[in-house]
Amino acid sequence: MSNFVVLNNQEHRHINIITDRSLEYGDGVMHAMTFPMEFRDIQSCYPIFFCKDPDSGQFYPAALFGLEKGENLFLTDSGWDASYIPMMVRRHPFLIGFQNDESYPEGKKPVVSIDLDHPRVSNVGGEILFSENGGSSDYLKQSMVLLESIHQGHEQNKVLIEMLLEHSLLEEFAVEVTLRDGSLKRLSGFYTIAEENLYALSGDVLGALNEKGFLQAIFMAVASLSRLRPLVEKKTVIIS
Amino acid sequence: MSTSQTIRSVVIVGGGTAGWLTAAIVAAEHRGNSDQRKDTESLISVTLIESPEISTIGVGEGTWPSMRTTLKKIGISETELFRECDASFKQGTLFRRWRNGKDDIYTHPFTVPHGYENTNLAPHWQLFREKVDFAQAVSSQNSLMLAGLAPKQIVTPEYGFHVNYGYHLDAVKFAKLLQKHCVEKLGVIHHSAKVVQVNSDSDNYIVSLDTDVDTTVSGDLFVDASGSRSLLLGKHYGIAFHSKKQFLFNDTGLASQVPYVNEDDPIASSTLSTAQKNGWIWDIGLPSRRGIGHVYSSSHTTEERATEELLNYIADTISPQTAAKTSVRKVNFEPGHRAEFWHKNCVAVGMSAGFIEPLEASALVLVELSAAMISEQLPENRHVMKIIAKRFNQKFLYRWERIIDFLKLHYILTQRNDSDYWKDNQMTDSIPFSIAEALDLWKWQSPWHQDTMRADEMFPSASYQYILYGMNFETKQCTERSSSRNGSLASKRLFLENIQRTEMLVSSMPTNRILIDKIKAYGLQKI
Repeated sequence: MSNFVVLNNQEHRHINIITDRSLEYGDGVMHAMTFPMEFRDIQSCYPIFFCKDPDSGQFYPAALFGLEKGENLFLTDSGWDASYIPMMVRRHPFLIGFQNDESYPEGKKPVVSIDLDHPRVSNVGGEILFSENGGSSDYLKQSMVLLESIHQGHEQNKVLIEMLLEHSLLEEFAVEVTLRDGSLKRLSGFYTIAEENLYALSGDVLGALNEKGFLQAIFMAVASLSRLRPLVEKKTVIIS
Repeated sequence: MSTSQTIRSVVIVGGGTAGWLTAAIVAAEHRGNSDQRKDTESLISVTLIESPEISTIGVGEGTWPSMRTTLKKIGISETELFRECDASFKQGTLFRRWRNGKDDIYTHPFTVPHGYENTNLAPHWQLFREKVDFAQAVSSQNSLMLAGLAPKQIVTPEYGFHVNYGYHLDAVKFAKLLQKHCVEKLGVIHHSAKVVQVNSDSDNYIVSLDTDVDTTVSGDLFVDASGSRSLLLGKHYGIAFHSKKQFLFNDTGLASQVPYVNEDDPIASSTLSTAQKNGWIWDIGLPSRRGIGHVYSSSHTTEERATEELLNYIADTISPQTAAKTSVRKVNFEPGHRAEFWHKNCVAVGMSAGFIEPLEASALVLVELSAAMISEQLPENRHVMKIIAKRFNQKFLYRWERIIDFLKLHYILTQRNDSDYWKDNQMTDSIPFSIAEALDLWKWQSPWHQDTMRADEMFPSASYQYILYGMNFETKQCTERSSSRNGSLASKRLFLENIQRTEMLVSSMPTNRILIDKIKAYGLQKI
């Protein structure tokens, strides 16, 4: 279970954060949410799919790391074997929480929160959060920039999804792969860009998507599907 | 007036669910959505006249799964339905006290038995009938119904499902939603006026209707959706009404709307039907309230006694305080239907065609079926209208017969003899020959595909199975014979699969209330 509290430089000044990548630090995940601003980097390593939040049914884009629950085919004994690690993976153990404050938009003030029960939270080794005099460490500063980007990313995703649905640009994609040992793996609940509808869009709609900065993102998502084959090959290597 | 007159305009009289649903179905097919509509001149016109004085009668709060297809066709999103009509999920009917009047319970789920297409599990279940209820053995929906769980998840697209479902809804709100959709999206012309005179031509076809606001509405085809008044078919044309009270005794309904004790009390995912001494009590859970009513035979009991039973039910299932505050509205009806439904250029839909107790919620589905046939077969001219009318009448007379058979089945199989009502229900002369004969057959073989006489039968053979075996009916089918026919290996596999699927669904489906709240908050995805 998570145990999120608002971060402060008194109570949390002795906390260190382990930044190694491994199963024991919570990296054994099949996919993670991603954002249009990082689609270019994501597609160089991972397939981008769209899936639904099980709690709300709302779509979000995700980078795929494995073919079954809890499987991350990029994890090796020496860490995460890819040139780019998604923002939502790097953010742990932090997230942006909200406090009621009327001086902020919608009465919510964003605050940096930390999950004290996260396996990355440690007393020894790893990155420090605060210096002796209570100032934020470089690592913490970077993390705060990351959280800020993620916060913007969530807003971007909302608009992206709205536009994709409005123009029927999502379609279900039955991921069905035959592994080299002949066994069949079927993934359901994944959606991709409906290419036929994409290529039939009028200039007006393409213009509107471009204005929001989504046109490139959409084509990055289309291109990312070629990352599925290397993923399946990784899987085959593991079982053989 | 030429007999080859073309049909270009449809006029509907009556603004309840029957009228608006018919308007929507016809307009969606023949006019399309206003966003895509181009040449409106050449389109069929659809006009609905609704009397502002007459309140719609709140019956038919339960639909069949067919309503999902109907809504999709007319272009109403499921999210809209849940947000605007106080709708909830209905997965079938849960019958209590129908067998022995004490503690018995069984379900009639909307989903057919597992593997029904290729294997009839009923004879194989006979071997274990003492150990497991029929519906539990063959369908995973039984467990979901008993637990009040939803038929889908928030990630399931609209109209999609894990197990088949229809809706419970507020019929008045539903009519309003349909009206808005018809007028704003489908180009239906709406007149708020009372019809005061029917004008006919020399062939006795209706040509126009005079209203009390000095307008005359002319048309080529007239749909009578005026309710039990049956303004056009009954009053104007004098088409005879055939009472079916000799088979189905119930002729009075006592209806009430009852609030939940707490706002987040569970919402049942089935219509609850609890047999009483002289009728039965319906209990329909909507998100904001329960609709509870007693339908009974006025020849067997009094209004006072029936009211007492209704209030006792409310006191037992909700609270005595709630019962004390409940007000009851009485509705009398004559069970039966018109001798024909389509006469000349007038076709009746809804209660103007007929009405029978709501035991299997057949009212709204009959409206959907009638409107679908009117729309799909919309006659080009008067000449072909005669042929279509004849076929319509044959089809719907057959449907009424099957509805009566199927409803009567619930009463014949009971072991109750605690009142004249139940005893009279089992008298030979109160049982239609068709169902008596079928029961004779089913003593020796269980119903399956060959028992479905028509491709568009309202009640598939699976429904007969659920009622027969839910009521403990015994089929003395030789299992060796059936196993050689159907394969006992296949049946074992199917029973096992059903157990696994049931476990999976029970652990992953949200409650009815949780899912409905989520739909209101987030909406259902279209894909």
